[in-house]
Amino acid sequence: MATQAHSLSYAGCNFLRQRLVLSTLSGRPVKIRKIRARDDNPGLRDFEASFIRLLDKITNGSRIEINQTGTTLYYQPGLLYGGSVEHDCSVLRGIGYYLESLLCLAPFMKHPLKIVLRGVTNDQVDPSVDVLKATALPLLKQFGIDGESFELKIVRRGMPPGGGGEVVFSCPVRKVLKPIQLTDPGKIKRIRGMAYSVRVSPQMANRIVDSARSILNKFIPDIYIYTDHMKGVNSGKSPGFGLSLVAETTSGTFLSAELASNPQGQGAAVLPEDLGRNCARLLLEEIYRGGCVDSTNQSLALLLMTLGQQDVSKVLLGPLSPYTIEFLRHLKSFFQIMFKIETKPCGEELKGGDKVLMTCVGIGFTNLSKTLK
Amino acid sequence: MEAKDQKKHRKKNSGPKAEKKKKRHLQDLQLGDEEDARKRNPKAFAVQSAVRMARSFHRTQDLKTKKHHIPVVDRTPLEPPPIVVVVMGPPKVGKSTLIQCLIRNFTRQKLTEIRGPVTIVSGKKRRLTIIECGCDINMMIDLAKVADLVLMLIDASFGFEMETFEFLNICQVHGFPKIMGVLTHLDSFKHNKQLKKTKKRLKHRFWTEVYPGAKLFYLSGMVHGEYQNQEIHNLGRFITVMKFRPLTWQTSHPYILADRMEDLTNPEDIRTNIKCDRKVSLYGYLRGTHLKNKSQIHMPGIGDFTVSDVSFLPDPCALPEQQKKRCLNEKEKLVYAPLSGVGGVLYDKDAVYVDLGGSHGFQALDEVGSTHELVQSLISTHSTIDAKMASSRVMLFSDSKALGSEDIDNQGLLMPKEEKQMDLKTGRMRRKAVFGDEDGSGDSDDEEGDEMSEDDGLENGSSDEEAVEEENAEVTDECMTAKGVKRRKLEELEEDSEADLPAFADSDDDLERSSAEEGEAEEADESSEEEDCSAGEKGISGSKAVREGSKAELSPANHQRDRVNLEKSLLMKKAALTTSDSGHCTAEEVFASEDESEESSSLSAEEEDSENQEALRKKLLKPSQVGSGQKLGSRNLIDETSDIEDLLKEEEDYKEERNDPTETSGALKWKEDLSRKAAEAFLRQQQAAPNLRKLIYGTVTEDNEEEDDTQEELGGLFRVTQPDRGCKHKADSLDCSRFPVEAPHDWDLEEVMNSIRDCFVTGKWEDDKDAAKVLAEDEELYGDFEDLETGDVHKGKSGPITQNEDVEKEVKEEIDPNEEESAKKKHLDKKRKLKEMFDAEYDEGESTYFDDLKGEMQKQAQLNHAEFEDQDDEARVQYEGFRPGMYVRVEIENVPCEFVQNFDPHYPIILGGLGNSEGNVGYVQMRLKKHRWYKKILKSRDPIIFSVGWRRFQTIPLYYIEDHNGRQRLLKYTPQHMHCGATFWGPITPQGTGFLAIQSVSGIMPDFRIAATGVVLDLDKSIKIVKKLKLTGFPYKIFKNTSFIKGMFNSALEVAKFEGAMIRTVSGIRGQIKKALRAPEGAFRASFEDKLLMSDIVFMRTWYPVSIPAFYNPVTSLLKPVGEKDTWSGMRTTGQLRLAHGIRLKANKDSLYKPILRQKKHFNSLHIPKALQKALPFKNKPKTQAKAGKVPKDRRRPAVVREPHERKILALLDALSTVHSQKMKKAKEQQHLHNKEHFRARQKEEEEKLKRQKDLRKKLFRIQGQKERRNQKSSLKGAEGQLQ
Repeated sequence: MATQAHSLSYAGCNFLRQRLVLSTLSGRPVKIRKIRARDDNPGLRDFEASFIRLLDKITNGSRIEINQTGTTLYYQPGLLYGGSVEHDCSVLRGIGYYLESLLCLAPFMKHPLKIVLRGVTNDQVDPSVDVLKATALPLLKQFGIDGESFELKIVRRGMPPGGGGEVVFSCPVRKVLKPIQLTDPGKIKRIRGMAYSVRVSPQMANRIVDSARSILNKFIPDIYIYTDHMKGVNSGKSPGFGLSLVAETTSGTFLSAELASNPQGQGAAVLPEDLGRNCARLLLEEIYRGGCVDSTNQSLALLLMTLGQQDVSKVLLGPLSPYTIEFLRHLKSFFQIMFKIETKPCGEELKGGDKVLMTCVGIGFTNLSKTLK
Repeated sequence: MEAKDQKKHRKKNSGPKAEKKKKRHLQDLQLGDEEDARKRNPKAFAVQSAVRMARSFHRTQDLKTKKHHIPVVDRTPLEPPPIVVVVMGPPKVGKSTLIQCLIRNFTRQKLTEIRGPVTIVSGKKRRLTIIECGCDINMMIDLAKVADLVLMLIDASFGFEMETFEFLNICQVHGFPKIMGVLTHLDSFKHNKQLKKTKKRLKHRFWTEVYPGAKLFYLSGMVHGEYQNQEIHNLGRFITVMKFRPLTWQTSHPYILADRMEDLTNPEDIRTNIKCDRKVSLYGYLRGTHLKNKSQIHMPGIGDFTVSDVSFLPDPCALPEQQKKRCLNEKEKLVYAPLSGVGGVLYDKDAVYVDLGGSHGFQALDEVGSTHELVQSLISTHSTIDAKMASSRVMLFSDSKALGSEDIDNQGLLMPKEEKQMDLKTGRMRRKAVFGDEDGSGDSDDEEGDEMSEDDGLENGSSDEEAVEEENAEVTDECMTAKGVKRRKLEELEEDSEADLPAFADSDDDLERSSAEEGEAEEADESSEEEDCSAGEKGISGSKAVREGSKAELSPANHQRDRVNLEKSLLMKKAALTTSDSGHCTAEEVFASEDESEESSSLSAEEEDSENQEALRKKLLKPSQVGSGQKLGSRNLIDETSDIEDLLKEEEDYKEERNDPTETSGALKWKEDLSRKAAEAFLRQQQAAPNLRKLIYGTVTEDNEEEDDTQEELGGLFRVTQPDRGCKHKADSLDCSRFPVEAPHDWDLEEVMNSIRDCFVTGKWEDDKDAAKVLAEDEELYGDFEDLETGDVHKGKSGPITQNEDVEKEVKEEIDPNEEESAKKKHLDKKRKLKEMFDAEYDEGESTYFDDLKGEMQKQAQLNHAEFEDQDDEARVQYEGFRPGMYVRVEIENVPCEFVQNFDPHYPIILGGLGNSEGNVGYVQMRLKKHRWYKKILKSRDPIIFSVGWRRFQTIPLYYIEDHNGRQRLLKYTPQHMHCGATFWGPITPQGTGFLAIQSVSGIMPDFRIAATGVVLDLDKSIKIVKKLKLTGFPYKIFKNTSFIKGMFNSALEVAKFEGAMIRTVSGIRGQIKKALRAPEGAFRASFEDKLLMSDIVFMRTWYPVSIPAFYNPVTSLLKPVGEKDTWSGMRTTGQLRLAHGIRLKANKDSLYKPILRQKKHFNSLHIPKALQKALPFKNKPKTQAKAGKVPKDRRRPAVVREPHERKILALLDALSTVHSQKMKKAKEQQHLHNKEHFRARQKEEEEKLKRQKDLRKKLFRIQGQKERRNQKSSLKGAEGQLQ
């Protein structure tokens, strides 16, 4: 018998997505124990269960075992299948929670993935769909994942707690990825943004735009913030508004920041002006951190570098987020890959904080699901 | 005579020579050839049709592009592993002799017995691993997968044997390595002509198999049992210069052809249980791609394993160092074959084996000489780094006071060693500087550890006896480093007072903070890291970092204590140092202590320690001050040595050194800032890198949970719960990829805003990108020109930079060499850039997509080579994995004991690396074709042995064929001459991998053994193969077009499932299932396109999914006892089983073939309806009158009744006519007779007439003859008369 690759074991529900995604890609089973074992409400939450269900939908032959209390999860990955899928995400987390993992998996399916996700498009916890569309998709394009069918469309917006949003994500399939050398972030040439409002006065969006511009105008004149007011069925089930900003550089790097209003009935009401200003500041923070990949997509970039051919890939990042740091550790345990990490001090130039240059040799990953014709 | 025998010269009328002559002749006549025709008659060659022109152009382009291969990144290592040469052939063909001759040819050594692979150095840049391959098909398959070159020996006196063809086919399937045929036994031919013919025949057959023009070598005969030297030499040359094409499988998987095996199992375990699983270490050159530690491998013939440890060893058969000479000297002609007992010294991770074989003794000595350092290094690794660390620590602590004078003496002696270090590792001094810079304490352990490891790796001077001395040496190192540090520190202190903190300080905090959230457990680590970080990145091996991390977690208290100790020891060293440094020492110490106290206040755990430290320090300061006066002389010595060190440093250090005089002189103060900044930038770099690396990979281990498991239980029921530390709550915290801003900047402040100014296009640009600057530079470059018309001379102004440079040059003339170098470099850079620009311009016209792609690949290859080039192997291995070309030792656990017990060195042991999820199993779909030489066809569900990827295994395939609509229909047997699909349950192997199938690997079969070949198409976890299922039913009630049908289903539910399905009668009437009926269970109503008969049978064609038995049985041939390795037999087919047990298959009577008895069929007549008949044209109308059976009564004639009179008349007439006819008959006869008589008479007359004429003619001729004779006579007479 072929010995099944020995499974990896973890405790706690944190980084669940990473573990399951990497397990799927590496083909190694994973066992996660003590999921909120000491919690009053032990076990997997709704949104995690929904995520596991989503994985089950896009794979073929996965084995998922959850014990009665939901505190232990055993996941033996199958092959990524893809195709047309629909999924109702939990409203506890945004669609970004699911989409982030899908972005990692989608290029390695058997059939091109076309998925309809329903739930919360913009919330305060997860990266919103707008931001992912503006930052993650161009990042994937750097790796050679491209084509007509590669798109992320927001059909309806849904804000927490009600949700009711809908996005369509489709991604072509690749056999191998290109290595990247992203060491020059370039200079920011324009800032774009999207101020959205649903089930509130359309004026909110305009107020956000004005306040955000007031801060950003000091740096660069080329700013355009779109206002997006969705009505009727397209506006979801709860009111809310927010802003996402994206700075594009001359070399095709996208840095983003976003802020959303408090969900209805939770926390104090937020003034749109405050929100706009704070979001602009967040963008400046992000620019200060800098790098060729913005902080939410660090792990995605590192993953795709790992899954490249056996060539050297380089990427310049801002400070590593805790999520990324844990992701690097997971990459090591799943793929036995270590990154060369060099800190690039900011030096004399006025370009924000320290940068980290990550270098690795890809593992020579090939898409085992894709059919040869 | 001779002249007559010679042939006359005949002019050639055809052939190249004649043509040439003709051409020359024509040219002489000024008629010209075809080329000229084009000139002569341009119209004839003009474009006749644009379309055709386009087509022909298209075609040439197509042909051109077809020649292109997809460019791939060149991933061949700089020092490639030895080339695997497989010597293959049927038995008794001369394989071993050839190997022996080749080895003797390359190394001048004679190996008596060859077992396993033999590695030899064959040239300056090439090594060979030669291995023999017998005709066991297992071995053939395994070796075909790793071979780079196959020497295929063919017995010319016999001709090709099946093994040769089998091996060729195996090679073809698993990527085609280079194949060179070698014909042997050529001396057995008596006649030269026969030899020639045989050679030609074999050559052409070989060409059809390999490729036309493939090299076939002839070994003409044996001399004293060996091949002729010259021929072997030529063969060797061919092998040495051969080029190889990369093979897909080999370049995408790491693999090792093991040339040595050691059993590492605990002997006690073996004693208690001889069958226990073994732990073995295998050695060999790594080939293919990078091998990662802990990765999955497959050993063909044994099974799947996870590598428990990999380490690289010094190359036992290294290539000679680069020298400019043509050939190797005797010393460099190495041979390494541990399985055959050759190779002299065998190095291991923790042992060295020296083979004192009689004949090879001198060889071993040689190697020791050449690789002396390596041996030493390995000896030194006898004790682990841990042990050394421990010992060094103790040493330092115990005789800290005795350091003073001794080390200075030692220093002078040991200096050269030090220098060597520097040469090898330029940045080494920097790290030391850093170590002193931060709080200084706590670094010593790392520092020492580094030194130890580096010493191990590089200096090799240390043996166990010399440990003490070494310690001393290190202490001196320590001193020196501390001294360097001190200087810098002093500077920094000075500068700190002047300049404010640099901007990066807070950003660094950011990093730290983000990591600090991660929990208390990590905090402790971090604190240690903060100290460690300064110790530099280079020497810290990963393993060490891990160990440290784990230690920190497991026993923080212990660690703390250690650190205190270390700090103390270090302080003592410092104290010793300060003895020499008279002036600044006190101030510096105070500062240092302050720093430390600050640190410790932040980390509450360290508070005590810092107090201790301070106390210690004070204690130690006193004697140092006392001793300062005495040791001035020694101090000078130190200074000198440090100067030497400094010379060897890099730029930063250089600058630093430069500052020394400034410190003393007080001049050139403006430069201080520069150096400081440089130093700081450098320091930070040094700190942060290991910091982050350790933070990520080093400290956090995943086995926190293990602790919990081991918690003791109370009474077997309850568990002692301990309050969780930070890591626990981290484990269950929110899973979010966002990176929240912890300490937002105040973006209203001008300086904060300025900190990101340059991130925008509106900010300042780099020099090489700033448009204005680039323009200026261009002017500078191309600005000098003289306008020839006007005579004006334009001068490009020398930019401010150059001016600056000039100024700088003036200022620091003494440091010129450096400057010069940089200038040279700049110049070179500029040149290169210009060249690139020119190239780009020049190529622009022709650069195609293909060229671009190729360029890209080349660039990537360059980057791949350059990226980790300057790092030492230890670090490189961590990032890249073990790279091909390294000699590695692989430890594997849980190997079946039979592998060790039945180890046969003749059989190759291959460790094939597996990619991700290639260790898993699933359904594998392939395109398969039965081999045309295989006599039988293959049956679905018969077990068969596949060789896919690295693996050989038995499995049960299903054959199928894909219908036009994509349905995969099961086949009982493989088609004869066609591809079909095959699916089995087994290990997942990447798509595009070739495979072959054999029915049995045991014994020798007379026929061709390879049953089928093909390629993997798809991998999945489920299959969709279906087989046809016909359900039949019978009508029991027939309406017009509707019938009720029973017998097809058993229940209404089943019917419901098939509602709307198409059904058909055997006669071809189509219909549809409508609805289930209540009455007989399973009956249904169906409608048809016509009325059914009760005799009709109704059937429905359905497809039933089949399942594949999940049977995967690796061929474990290597586990068989020695001598029986080719007897592996797995699951038997049902046919074999039946044969073995003598079970006859009971045939179904219905299936038997019987003679077909057909009843005569009576068809009813064709009936055309009247209406139709009427409408038909006359031609097609049935012709009824043709039959005309009955005449209607009205038409019928009445019967004639005669009168008696009439009757009499009739009778008379009858009689008369009878008489008349009789008369006529008689007359006719008479006439006939008469005629006959007449004819006879005439004939007689004729004859007589002929006779008469004959006689007459006779007479006439006689007379004529006589007359002629007479005439002749008379003429003769006349002539004679005339003569007379």
